[in-house]
Amino acid sequence: MAAFRRRFGDPKSLAAVAILVTPALVLFVIFVLWPLFNAFLFSFYKWNGYGPLEQLVGVDNYADVVDHRAFPLALRNTVIIAIASLLIQLPLALWVALALYQKAWFVSIFRTIFFLPYMLGEVAAGLIWKFVYDGNYGLLPVVGDALHTDMPFLLADRFWVIPAIILVIVWKYFGFHMMIYIAGLQSIPNEVIEAARLDGVSKWKIMWFVKIPMLRSSIVISVFFAIVGSLQLFDIILPLTGGGPGNASHTLVSFLYYFGILRMKIGFGGAMSVILFVLCVGVTIIYRRLLFARADA
Amino acid sequence: MNRWIMAAAFAVLGSSSALADTTVRWLHITSVPEELALLEGAARTYESMNPGVTIETQFLENEAFKAKLTTLLQSPDAPDIFFSWGGGVLTEQAAAGVLRPIEDVVSQQTKDAIGTAGISAFSRDGHLYGIARDVGEVVLWYNKALFEKAGVDAASMSDWDGFVAGIEKFKAAGITPIAIGGKDKWPAHFWWAKMVVRLAGEEAFDKAASGEASFTDAPFVAAAQYLYDLGQIQPFQQGFEAATYNDASGMFGDGNAAMHLMGDWDYTVMKDSSADKKGFPDEDLGILPFPTVPGGLGDPTDTLGGLSGWLFSKNASDEAVKFMEWYNTDVALQQKFAEGAYYIPIAAGAADTMENPFKKQVAENINKAHWHALFFDQALGPDVGGVFNDMSAELAAGTISAEDAAAELQAAAEDAR
Repeated sequence: MAAFRRRFGDPKSLAAVAILVTPALVLFVIFVLWPLFNAFLFSFYKWNGYGPLEQLVGVDNYADVVDHRAFPLALRNTVIIAIASLLIQLPLALWVALALYQKAWFVSIFRTIFFLPYMLGEVAAGLIWKFVYDGNYGLLPVVGDALHTDMPFLLADRFWVIPAIILVIVWKYFGFHMMIYIAGLQSIPNEVIEAARLDGVSKWKIMWFVKIPMLRSSIVISVFFAIVGSLQLFDIILPLTGGGPGNASHTLVSFLYYFGILRMKIGFGGAMSVILFVLCVGVTIIYRRLLFARADA
Repeated sequence: MNRWIMAAAFAVLGSSSALADTTVRWLHITSVPEELALLEGAARTYESMNPGVTIETQFLENEAFKAKLTTLLQSPDAPDIFFSWGGGVLTEQAAAGVLRPIEDVVSQQTKDAIGTAGISAFSRDGHLYGIARDVGEVVLWYNKALFEKAGVDAASMSDWDGFVAGIEKFKAAGITPIAIGGKDKWPAHFWWAKMVVRLAGEEAFDKAASGEASFTDAPFVAAAQYLYDLGQIQPFQQGFEAATYNDASGMFGDGNAAMHLMGDWDYTVMKDSSADKKGFPDEDLGILPFPTVPGGLGDPTDTLGGLSGWLFSKNASDEAVKFMEWYNTDVALQQKFAEGAYYIPIAAGAADTMENPFKKQVAENINKAHWHALFFDQALGPDVGGVFNDMSAELAAGTISAEDAAAELQAAAEDAR
């Protein structure tokens, strides 16, 4: 009993825990675990969504996903977007956070402005930028006219479509990462910075050797959000490009939606979602091993 | 205690009166306000003529409807009546047993009014599953003013060589020859499908669709080659791959493109999508015969388009079927839809009062047609039809060869069987 207590705490509080955890656990099972299990099950069947599962096809669906014309593009785009988020979005967010973390009235105005895109719905953001990029009626040709140059139709161009999407993502999400960094920066004790300053350390060096190292746990979190967010990117793509031109701007999730769900190939969609799940879990485990552990230390 | 007995008594009374009444749930995809008012009005009229029947209308937007229907039909909340484009989706629904066969309920009178084309479009394996509502055709709309401006004679475009020569003239005059909604992909499928109708014809298409022949056979590849070659001379607007159907429709409506291959429904949409909501005047609008090509197996009268109607879910009541029989064959009612140019009713006599010259011409084309081919993306079902759309968009953009596109289509067709 004593051992049990040490491990699980007082049986009375265990009852409290059970009561408090059950609702969340029930929801988690119904809306996360059960669909997850189903997707896994469907992925071994050929099924159009009607009637019982009958046609067991083994790993055919997985082979179909990997062999699909659009799959390499979707995978490539997802990786590019993840890398761009890390190399463009996060440094930008950090830079702005360093400029804006002090408390002052005008600073909070800027913070709000930078954070606003994050509060906007993804679909709304996609539609706004579709208009901005539109080559006939959009904002871009107006800018082009002012500069006396012809602007390309960004969303119809197989190369430019990806940079155009990355710009939207950076615009939309850097405010979120900025807020994480601001919170982190504000929790650095003033004494530490003051001590450095009294020792005659330059502003640059304070940033590099004091502030950023002390932000480590914020950065670890924000990198994680950026990677997982890129893997799951979907709702901006849908209104902005629908995966086009051709299949040039599909991400793994838009690929899953267009070629699995909309085509009523539930097994194909299931296989893709299992692949995506394995990728996400894989990244999380590796990332935890590499970084969270050291952040704790 | 008394209160409980009273409540129980009322509950019993309530349920028994509910038994006598029938509620019919009717799921439609109509969003045009005037058309919607007609539809709701019809439901109220039917209720007043048939005491005890309540018609409950439900609406889903086009894309949401397609995405949700599969789940909806397998739930207890399935609507009794719902809209359908027929085709491969209907085949799958019928095979899955989520539909109610209605041949025993539908009167001979209704069957006669709907006509054989409408009946056969909604029959599968000897069962009738739906009541047809309307027909539609994909036509080559053109802007007479722009033809004049570029010095192109519409008659000179009747065959493919003349068509290509005309496109070059438009380009020389700085006018976009053809508007197309490439982002949505299905607008591109009309080009390949029209060519298949011309080159392969009904028999070859049916054989390829059923697996007796292959989509890699010569007429299908040749049809794809025409679309590929057309794309190579760049007849479409700049950035067409990012344009939706509505973008392209608006561009044509604004008078910024000479031609648009689109369904007859575009008559109202091109005006609605134009910048001033009016578009260019009707006297400048025309329907160009689709250019002929040498050596086609199809009949010259063949048309491509839709034949839509209403289906009934597994548990639908007889009342639901009777309501739809009335709704689709009441000539005075359907004439109102025809007069508003919302669609071309299939019921005998309903399209007679139609005054719109374009709709009249389309109705005539379909009447004369040896084969009224259903939109291929509908006819082939969501999966193979989707691949047909993908490949059409890629052919238009020149990112796949005709042979490879046909092979992809055939692979999808084999996979679906």
